[in-house]
Amino acid sequence: MTEVFVNMGEIRVLRSTGVLTTVGLGSCVGVSFYDPITKVGALAHVFLAESRANSDRDALPGKYADTAIPALIDLAVKAGASRERLVAKIAGGAHLFSNITPEHLSVGHRNVKAVIEQLNIYDIPIIGKDVAGKRGRKMKLYVDTGVVIVTIIGEEPKQI
Amino acid sequence: MAKTVLITDDTAFMRMTLRNVIQKNGFHVIGEAADGEEAVSKYKELQPDLVTMDITMPKMDGITAIKEIIKYDANAKIIVCSAMGQKPMVIEALNAGARDFLVKPFDAQRVIEALHKASS
Amino acid sequence: MNNKLDFLQELGNIGASHATTALSQMLQDTKLELTVPKARMLSFAEAANFIASREEIVVCIYTRMIDMIKGDMAFIMPFSCAVTLANHLTGDDREQLNEIGESALLEVGNIMLGSYITALSLLSDTKIKPTVPGIVIDMNGAIWQSILAGAGVTEAVTILDTKFSTAELELSGHLIFIPDNAVFEALYQKVSSCWKPEETL
Repeated sequence: MTEVFVNMGEIRVLRSTGVLTTVGLGSCVGVSFYDPITKVGALAHVFLAESRANSDRDALPGKYADTAIPALIDLAVKAGASRERLVAKIAGGAHLFSNITPEHLSVGHRNVKAVIEQLNIYDIPIIGKDVAGKRGRKMKLYVDTGVVIVTIIGEEPKQI
Repeated sequence: MAKTVLITDDTAFMRMTLRNVIQKNGFHVIGEAADGEEAVSKYKELQPDLVTMDITMPKMDGITAIKEIIKYDANAKIIVCSAMGQKPMVIEALNAGARDFLVKPFDAQRVIEALHKASS
Repeated sequence: MNNKLDFLQELGNIGASHATTALSQMLQDTKLELTVPKARMLSFAEAANFIASREEIVVCIYTRMIDMIKGDMAFIMPFSCAVTLANHLTGDDREQLNEIGESALLEVGNIMLGSYITALSLLSDTKIKPTVPGIVIDMNGAIWQSILAGAGVTEAVTILDTKFSTAELELSGHLIFIPDNAVFEALYQKVSSCWKPEETL
């Protein structure tokens, strides 16, 4: 089975078969889209919440929440997904370094908030999530079924 | 009677290490504090003869704690044990009233010498 | 530009040497091998790929400089090495880390980062204020990603990476220093007037 890795700031799509994997989601948020009929799956590895604050013109499409969500929709639709059938699952947004900032000011917290806001704006329902906490995550989207498995070190993998 | 020492450090391991060294050399560890605030309140409560003080700590840093303790007791004998040996920080600590400044990692012998020197 | 990287490399070299000297002292003068740090200017995508084994479990002690001089600094070692080091310091023989072992590692990291920062302060004649260091045990990738995001790295980033190892104890690790670009530019201007690359400080 094909396994495609999605690194920081990247977005990737697969159809019918294979798995989209992102390893090492700390404060980053993994956003998966799935169309159960055409079996199109897409995954973004969102790094920060907003692109407006800086002039990062050559940014990777998945780097910021506000650019990642529309880019992910385009990518999924181009690969054959129906815009109306897309459903989202999200994971990540942890707060590893609690010595530096309090939770509510953490990058992870802001990322999760921004991703949910963007999904609401584009009207994509969130049907699964595993966010916040203090631990990093690995996220896998199985494109044949739409199942997402999230792994945290020292815990049993969970399906969302 | 053995002189009493209050140990201040935010890591449990360093408090344990200091406790071992200090107890073995004829001093009595009367208490431990994990941050500056705790050091100030334990100083008032326990009235130790000597204090070891870390600098970078949560809640209240060591420099502020030295100032607070000296405000309460101008004769307080405080020895800094810090990983940070920056000159401006050393000067600030000594100006605040610390008697000595040890940079970690230190020899056990150095700690004992400093305690003896400060208590004599 | 090259001069600036040279300058940072020299800062990193001296800082990391002080840090590993401190570690060596804590290990009863065990000899530590140290690579000369390479100051590298990386694009965001390169920085994202800087860590190879993203899934490896590592122990990281991390602090951020928050005053005049800004930057991020981390001491990272593989989990197995961290256990070896903790056992050595606490006189235990465990396969996992317990509370006191973790505390010992935090203190070692604290001392190493403190030595590094003290050297930077001495070289730049500036007071550097670090946050209280924290310890995290997690996937390498998650830690790296959180450091980059926390540092607000969005475009180019300069990374100073020093590797150290010792055969005697099967220990190895990294010291990573990410100076804030703007602040180090200013610092370079200040120090470079009396600093030449060929001279040893």
